[in-house]
Amino acid sequence: MKVSLNIAQELSNVDLKSLPTEDLVKLATERLGGIEGFDDLSKHYEGIVVAKVVSCEKHPNADKLSLCKIDDGGKTGDVDRDEAGHVQVVCGAPNVREGILVAWIPPKSVVPSSYGEKELFVLEARDLRGEISNGMIASPRELGINSDHDGILEITDDVAPGASFVSLYKLDDVIIDIENKMFTHRPDCFGQLGVARELAGIQGLKFESPDWYKNNIPFNKGSSEVIKGLDVTIDSPEICPRYMAIAFDNVTIEPSPVWLQSDLNRLGVRPINNVVDITNYIMLTTAQPLHAFDFDKVAKDGRAEIIVRKPKSGEKLTLLDGKVIEPHSESTLICNQDGPIALGGVMGGGNSEIDENTKRIVLECATFDMYNIRKTSMTHGLFTDAVTRFNKGQPAEQLPPVLQKTIQMIEEVVGAQPIGDIVDCYPTKNSPQKVDVSVDFINRRLGSKLSSKDIGIMLTNVEFEVKSQDDYLSVIVPFWRTDIEIAEDIVEEVGRLYGFNNLPIELPVRTIKPVSPTARLALKSKIRQILSRAGANEVLNYSFVHGNLLNKVGQKPEDSYALRNALSPDLQFYRQTLTPSILDLVHKNVKSGFDEFALFEINKSHNKIHDDGSSDLPGELNMISLVYTDKKSTKSAYYNARRYLDFLAERLGYTLVYSPIEKDPGYPVTAPFDFKRSALVTVKEVDVFLGIVGEFKQNVASSMKLPSATAGFEIGLDHLLEAQKRGSLSKYKPLSKYPSSEQDLTLKVPVNSDFTDIEVVLRDFLDSSKYEFKLQPLSIFSKEGSDHKNISFRIELTSQTHTLTTDEVSGIIDELAETADKKLNAQRV
Amino acid sequence: MAIVASGISLAFDIELRVIMDDVQSVRQHLLDKLKSLEEKKTILRAPELRDLYNKVKDQPEDKRAEFGQAINNLKKELEDLVGQSSDSNSVLSDIDVTAPMDINSPIPQLIPTENGTTHPITQETEKIAEIFYRMGFEVSESREIDDDYHMFTSLNFPENHPARDDYDTFITEEGLIAPAHTSTMQNRIISARKHLLEEGENIAVLAMDRVFRNEDLDARHEHTFTQHEGILVGKDITVGNLVATLKLFFTTYYEEDIEVKITPFYFPFTEPSFEFSLSCPFCSDGEDCRVCSGERWIEMLGCGMIHPNVLRMAGVDPIKYSGFAWGGGVERLVMIKHNIEDIRHFNSGKLKFLRQFK
Repeated sequence: MKVSLNIAQELSNVDLKSLPTEDLVKLATERLGGIEGFDDLSKHYEGIVVAKVVSCEKHPNADKLSLCKIDDGGKTGDVDRDEAGHVQVVCGAPNVREGILVAWIPPKSVVPSSYGEKELFVLEARDLRGEISNGMIASPRELGINSDHDGILEITDDVAPGASFVSLYKLDDVIIDIENKMFTHRPDCFGQLGVARELAGIQGLKFESPDWYKNNIPFNKGSSEVIKGLDVTIDSPEICPRYMAIAFDNVTIEPSPVWLQSDLNRLGVRPINNVVDITNYIMLTTAQPLHAFDFDKVAKDGRAEIIVRKPKSGEKLTLLDGKVIEPHSESTLICNQDGPIALGGVMGGGNSEIDENTKRIVLECATFDMYNIRKTSMTHGLFTDAVTRFNKGQPAEQLPPVLQKTIQMIEEVVGAQPIGDIVDCYPTKNSPQKVDVSVDFINRRLGSKLSSKDIGIMLTNVEFEVKSQDDYLSVIVPFWRTDIEIAEDIVEEVGRLYGFNNLPIELPVRTIKPVSPTARLALKSKIRQILSRAGANEVLNYSFVHGNLLNKVGQKPEDSYALRNALSPDLQFYRQTLTPSILDLVHKNVKSGFDEFALFEINKSHNKIHDDGSSDLPGELNMISLVYTDKKSTKSAYYNARRYLDFLAERLGYTLVYSPIEKDPGYPVTAPFDFKRSALVTVKEVDVFLGIVGEFKQNVASSMKLPSATAGFEIGLDHLLEAQKRGSLSKYKPLSKYPSSEQDLTLKVPVNSDFTDIEVVLRDFLDSSKYEFKLQPLSIFSKEGSDHKNISFRIELTSQTHTLTTDEVSGIIDELAETADKKLNAQRV
Repeated sequence: MAIVASGISLAFDIELRVIMDDVQSVRQHLLDKLKSLEEKKTILRAPELRDLYNKVKDQPEDKRAEFGQAINNLKKELEDLVGQSSDSNSVLSDIDVTAPMDINSPIPQLIPTENGTTHPITQETEKIAEIFYRMGFEVSESREIDDDYHMFTSLNFPENHPARDDYDTFITEEGLIAPAHTSTMQNRIISARKHLLEEGENIAVLAMDRVFRNEDLDARHEHTFTQHEGILVGKDITVGNLVATLKLFFTTYYEEDIEVKITPFYFPFTEPSFEFSLSCPFCSDGEDCRVCSGERWIEMLGCGMIHPNVLRMAGVDPIKYSGFAWGGGVERLVMIKHNIEDIRHFNSGKLKFLRQFK
């Protein structure tokens, strides 16, 4: 939102520019809204003067160039002049001629349009085909007035040669750029007038809106027999609360005067023609968009009947920009007797557009429902200056003054005359908004100590009407502040105008109640520490994945929640589990030189198969996944992944049970795993299922280019929490006064027997003995091709009552071996 | 050394290819080679095989068909071998998953601890949480898939309100939303704790988690990032309380005295709304600072007094109680702290990046 300080000043009764620009901008940032920057234009025009072309001849050596003598009133120093004091300039424009007034950029001055480009274009006196040209006579584009570069700017205003160019068209201006986002709730601030009011208010100055805005200037209606009439009907008042219109005759479409073009250009709007420029100018000033139709294109038999309604089914509309749309069923159509002529509040229709032949116009000044406008804009992808303003909610009360100001401008600038009276269709009148608030409430929210009087002054400065009685304020909201509805809105106004940074700051008071992390956050943190201590690296992956990744690991894309509007196909689906994303990182890290590593992630995953059932929303599965790889190893990585899981479980105080998998379980989480080389994992102590550990399917490994020694696990964080909830973790045993003894035991078993069967038998036996024990697996040995394997354990025994003798220990180990033999047919080696 | 070694092996290869002029010797060679290959399928593109095909034309005319057939058979054999190894598990023998170690192998070692790292983002969220626990805030997680009510409506964004335009949200086929801010938790957080207010306690919660914006990626823009969002509701909570709380946090976080300021802003869920800035802790006057580029202030986060409609929708009486909320980015803090040049590194999973954060 560009604001011209000169235009704001013109609309203001107080001096807005007494502060240095930097200070005003700083104050506005603190009390109005984020300012992206400001541009002091006066610097762009230094040295440029109005000059008269006193003679104009053909350049002796060039057909298309003219050799001019100009009179600058002798204002410019350090330039070559003839006896008459005139300066020679070569000019290539077709419209240069004797007697006209022009803008002359003397040597050493800068061409204004080169500001904002890479390099400033500084002029000099130079030779052009044998003749010296001192600076240049400038085109409107070079002067930054409009985009016209077909000829030089002709100044038709009554001004003497030598006058400073900058003051002629208010070019000694400062343009402040305020972020639009600031004003999402401020319909008034999308006009220069609204911002002018705020610039006064934040400086503590009492602003008064111009007469024409606050008090309707009476309108002299035209009398004409040319047309039979203009009628407006609003079919759906909920989408168009008020519609005003008037017709004009004797319209001549031509370019606007330079001052108007210059004003528009400074506010970032391209001049088009006098009628459109005026509607734009009024919109930029008051925030009220207007639209002009060609009367003769709208009228049937000299009669224009405008109907505001929702579309009929199948109705189509060609817009000004040539785009054909079928407006959504709730949109606002402006129609004539035949059908739509505009998409209300958004864009005009091609069939009613004014053009160079237009002689009569209908001027629309209406207001539309902000939500409806936004819906239309989003549905059809139409973003116009009118939408930006209408979707903030422009007030119906604003229409009469704005329309009358516009009529006045059209009369003055275009020379057209109104036909007949203004048509005003306003089915339901609004009454002014009133907000009651106490001084105490304001102070309690702001932490301030403002008096009723302080508050009254600040609010009336920006034209609120305030009636106070004791501590209570009754605030009547001016019609342009459609955003003010509740007491908190008044709190904001007061805080802002007072300066939020002037408020005392103080910490909130609280009780001494301690806070602790939730069990889940504490567990996450602990797991991070444990796994990183074990040399693994924590990663974070996107929550969304490409469908290809799901397919590669054997997860079905239809089991994922799919995004319907992702900008990139990489973000098509919510990931079903964490492991695939980590597998996707393995190859690229191997390629960048890492041979052995373990990556883990603790995060959420989502799929349609598993749901925590906790609400109507999809379940969020908190998972832990780790992938281990070693490019140089040829061994089975299953045991590495399992080692990580054992390490984690042990630090958390658990023992895990690993169960072989009979057939592919077919869940999203198990999909990438080769079930024959994987195990399901359960917490032994509390019998809680955790997840899966294992190697990956060969086709997963090959499509993701995994080294052969790659394995991983994925377990549920919430399952671990459940385990925590169920069981006490303390395993402390009182220290024995007596020393411990160890002995090893090796058992020979068939090569395909499960290790766990043997371990369970040994553990059960030792559990039932009167000793404390540790059972530690030492090795599993098998000769290649042998049908047996030898499993060795180290057994450490401790007694609470006496020192164990070697014989006693040997006796127990013998018994243990016998038990193993009996139960498993395992022979002691 | 590396150059010499590869030179030798190249010479060795050429020599082999010269010797191998019959299909049988090539077959044996390729079968041996297959065993050592990581990418089994590449055997089908082996130069030895191509050379054999090239030799067909050098064969006496009557032997050509036979020679060609022999190569085709070899190719078929290799294809079968490779195909077999890629479709199921028959190449790999079963293992005893109940054992802690493989046959004839020791219990595997963990990777040396000095290589282990936690993620720089989680390091930071833990640090931030730690400070807020001390200040009396609970810490809550957020959701990654939520509904329109929590993301917008409960936060005073009416349907078709233009403020919705500032959030480019990801939407699922079902119409669910990947939240664009942790405020999606605000209604739940407040309503679950409203009993605290009756007990004379404040509701003080920091919601910190992942959020999503449907934006194109570049060095400064991520579609996935982390937000920390503070919520405090109680009796007579003021704008001054909000500023003081944030100032205390940043002073503690940066371990140095900083100045703060707020400037007006607009959010539908706070009234009034602010942008919160702090004096740049990384520069002193006169220097050309990499963080604030000489501005001396860094915009840190958006904040404001919780809108009465938001409190009301969470079951809290906005006449009796008031509160404030803020939302800020964690990535920004981490990037400034470590001088990280590209926000995309965080989700890249690159060990070269990750292992720098011990």
